[in-house]
Amino acid sequence: MKSTATTSPQIITNRSRLACPSLDSLCGIVVILAVLAPDLTASSREIPKSNPKKPTEYREVEFIKRYCLECHSGKNPKASLDLSRFDSIERIVSEALLWDKILIQIVEGDMPPEEADIPALDERSNFLNWVESSLQKAACQSGPHPGPAVLRRLNRAEYSASVRDLLDIHFDAGEALPADGSGGEGFDNATETLFISPIHAEKYMDAARVAIEYAFADTRSLRRFLVAEPDEKTPPEVAARRVIEAFLPRAFRRSIRESEILEYLALFHAAYEADPSFTVAIRLTLQTVLVSPKFLFIAEEPNFDVKPHKVTDHELASRLSYFLWGSLPDDALLEAANEGNLSDPTILQEQFKRMLGKQNSRKVRDFSQNFVEQWLGTRALGREFKPDKSIRGYDSELEGGMKYEPVFFFNEILTKNGSLLDLIKADYTYANRRLARHYRIKGEFREQPKRVELTDENRRGGLLSMAAVLAVSSYPHRTSPVLRGKWILETILGDPPPPPPPNVPELQESESGVSSESLRERLELHRQDTACAQCHDRIDPLGFGLENYGVLGRWRDKYEGHPVDARGALPDGTTFSGPAELKLALLGRKDQFVRHLTKKMLGYALGRGLTYYDYCAVNSIVDKLRANDYRSHNLLFGIIQSVPFRFKAGIAPDEAEHATTLNQDESIHD
Amino acid sequence: MTRPSIALSRRTFLKGAGAALALPWLEAMLPQRLAAASTNPHPIRLAALFMPNGVREDQWTPTGQGSKFALSPILKPLEAFKNDILVPTNLWNQGSDYGDGHYVKTSGFLTCTTINKSLGYDLNSNGISMDQIAARSIAQKTPLPSLELAIDPVTIGVDTNVGYTRVYGSHIAWNKPTRPLAREINPRLVFERLFRINNPSSTNTISDSLLLDRVLADAKQLRRRVGASDKARIDDYLESVRALERRIEQTSQSGGPSWSPRGEISPESKPERRPDEHPERVRLMLDMIALAFQTDSTRVCTFMFGNAVSNTNFSFLEGVKGGHHSLSHHERKEENLTQYQRIGQWHIEQYSYLLNKLKNFKEGESTVLDNSMILFGSGLRDGNKHSPHNLPLVLAGRAGGRINTGQHLVYDKDTPLSNLYCSILDAFGASVERFADSTGKLKGILS
Repeated sequence: MKSTATTSPQIITNRSRLACPSLDSLCGIVVILAVLAPDLTASSREIPKSNPKKPTEYREVEFIKRYCLECHSGKNPKASLDLSRFDSIERIVSEALLWDKILIQIVEGDMPPEEADIPALDERSNFLNWVESSLQKAACQSGPHPGPAVLRRLNRAEYSASVRDLLDIHFDAGEALPADGSGGEGFDNATETLFISPIHAEKYMDAARVAIEYAFADTRSLRRFLVAEPDEKTPPEVAARRVIEAFLPRAFRRSIRESEILEYLALFHAAYEADPSFTVAIRLTLQTVLVSPKFLFIAEEPNFDVKPHKVTDHELASRLSYFLWGSLPDDALLEAANEGNLSDPTILQEQFKRMLGKQNSRKVRDFSQNFVEQWLGTRALGREFKPDKSIRGYDSELEGGMKYEPVFFFNEILTKNGSLLDLIKADYTYANRRLARHYRIKGEFREQPKRVELTDENRRGGLLSMAAVLAVSSYPHRTSPVLRGKWILETILGDPPPPPPPNVPELQESESGVSSESLRERLELHRQDTACAQCHDRIDPLGFGLENYGVLGRWRDKYEGHPVDARGALPDGTTFSGPAELKLALLGRKDQFVRHLTKKMLGYALGRGLTYYDYCAVNSIVDKLRANDYRSHNLLFGIIQSVPFRFKAGIAPDEAEHATTLNQDESIHD
Repeated sequence: MTRPSIALSRRTFLKGAGAALALPWLEAMLPQRLAAASTNPHPIRLAALFMPNGVREDQWTPTGQGSKFALSPILKPLEAFKNDILVPTNLWNQGSDYGDGHYVKTSGFLTCTTINKSLGYDLNSNGISMDQIAARSIAQKTPLPSLELAIDPVTIGVDTNVGYTRVYGSHIAWNKPTRPLAREINPRLVFERLFRINNPSSTNTISDSLLLDRVLADAKQLRRRVGASDKARIDDYLESVRALERRIEQTSQSGGPSWSPRGEISPESKPERRPDEHPERVRLMLDMIALAFQTDSTRVCTFMFGNAVSNTNFSFLEGVKGGHHSLSHHERKEENLTQYQRIGQWHIEQYSYLLNKLKNFKEGESTVLDNSMILFGSGLRDGNKHSPHNLPLVLAGRAGGRINTGQHLVYDKDTPLSNLYCSILDAFGASVERFADSTGKLKGILS
């Protein structure tokens, strides 16, 4: 997001922050000032008169009075933040930006501070929900608010897939690139964390050389991009021009200006003069394309208007293909964009169906894998998470089976328009030979996972009983109801517990020889401390529902000599016993789950963290899902049709001006 | 045909690199002078080795002070290097005191600043890491300004419990407040990179420069189109391309290289792809640091034994069962403390392995170790407390005679860690007036 705190009251998510131009560190200071001196942000706005209060409103305003005003009012309010004027929802909404910052502090447990009067957890979450939904409602009524035009580099996976499809090679060209971190909603395609280090250019240059070498050694692949070669009738530069004309639009994912063709042709000429070999010169030309930022960056035309604009058809094609394939648009998508009718709802729907179709199954599975592994955290398997030697039976085939189970399962739901609720509870899964044995499922299996109908739904079916999920929510050498409870809250319900208060050591539950029984007792003892109980009352009982699964998800009826006690409860008090009942209990919270999944998927599709404005899209997609049996295509196509996916925001006037000044300044360099 | 100009205007580059430094509070951190008039003919190298999760505190601090000190149980593996090391006690990193238990302590380890709490949007360390200040002062002298190495890939995801992206826990080197430097985790790739730098092919120079010229021109076209805040991203890429261009220029035989390797790299010493076992990975990476320093491919390096909260399974050590982070939450139980201590000691053994390698590389009358500063440390002291007071630190090497090693120096409680960094930068030849919260240089270190 490019707006700054002082010019545009951008509302942002409780999980993310205002963006700053990455060079402009002062921006951070501006944001802090804006929070510390709220009058700056409020001064230009008219404060509406307070209406008579509704009962809930009364309760929440009381919350502010009781927990905030002791420090944040009077002559010298703490942090120069006087909250006494917020006696109605209208006033809160009128300073949405400030309240967003305040919410983060409350969500993350920083406020009220430890030594103060602390609200009960219910009270706190009621207040948060009330403010959050009010801010959202206000945001949705104020018109479309998309994010800015995209400018980000391809991440490593996207780079590999794009080179693969561009050259039609079966080779991972991006293998040697540095790995990418995650930002925003937790994905490695987030604009905000796709940094460029000094090492990148060198890596891209090497990768391009190797990829082109590889492609030139493969005649099938050559046919894809070497569309002309010099012969008696075709001089080298004519052949080169044909190759460039065909290659550039695919690589840059848009129509190409004649000047750009000439620029690359000039490069070909220079190389040809140095070494008069068509192959050598055209290889260098194509290699250069792969190192050009026009290929490496998804770069949409900025919108210098104040109003949001629709993205162009070519930009839409790229948004679609990097969302559903993690790769560049194919010829059919580019053609639709060239004809200018990709944004036509019928054509868009056709393309959407085609993109998820059989002929593209590999690319769609890449998407499933990228999304699922990062959403569930199962990418850690074999990396951050490796089971201890004492956990028997772990080998590479089992790891493969575990890793691919959620991917194939999710992929089926996506491609077959299945119900998203299957993710909680299902009567089928995917297993390879090793995983089937691990699960004690009978039948013929191979090394490649295949679909299998489950006969014992009490044990398997749905993400929660998948070995990969159960492993990454365990310690390397033993299971942990705390970690698993936290995993469910975070990953399924989207309601992560706040961090433990500082200087409180984590409960040691990891030594060997502690039976499940005594662990439960220890955890209960732990929860007698009210400070711990606040959160662990919500976390631990959820995790106990999965006690029937070992570190690698193997079923167990007994643990360390005692029968497994898998009784537990949801934060709202709903009790259950064992995984089957836990799943039913979670289905009782299906809207919360689907809403969380929608946020995650939208964040992935947009390649950035969400803002409150985006929650308007989330809400309408969730409504659509509810009305359509939670069929997955409503999620995917709902995102594709949404405002944030179809539009780009205007650049704040001061920044546009700034851009022009810099442009003039820069022109002297060329 | 005329040889294409490889030396395009450097103005854009300077602009890009300089923009972050234009802030007054960072200016004080710019080196005051380059390499002090020194009689030492050998380059000074600087490496910082970061260990996650802290140490068993009652087994870390040496007994005795000054040159008469006895190594603690964890530091025992350094016995052979007692005269080459310096152990400072009572330093703390105030900047990392605020925030969560791990991310702040990692990203702020070499910057001594408080990082922004962020899932990405305003990710900012609010400083430049000490190693990068050093790298900038000698940027033109070696093909690689610096080398960033690690064992674990960037940890995936964002930590929604505490509100930090895990990017923070995976980086210690920052060359701009908003840019953590990508690390290489595959020793084989590091080797290939070093090998290529040390054995440049002259035939590729023309085509490389043609390619880079076109890429630079494309980047400028793109830069003109985008809004102001996005220009910074393109600038980062421009900077990266120009650095490569400069290196090709520097090492190319035809133009007369301005740099030549100080040692040879044998192609046979190429490491295997990326071994599965943690100890082997660590050893190979340390070998790469030694190789880079020996050949003078770079003079600045950072290395992460693990990312923040790393739960690397150390059961390959006898008597240890479980992950590093889990064991660091020892709850003062002897059973856990013993294992935690063993893990700390293992890290010191690896450190000692690197020191030994560097000591075996002769450089005139001295050794590469004599001309280096190799810092070992963690961003927190006791893993159970997550506190950045009295940090566990060791500095090895004399920096060509600038550092008085062979000492255990006990400072006043809560002496800034940044003071140590000021002394290190001074010895490196990149003296700064001030670094982050520094109040001066550490007493008794510089000769």
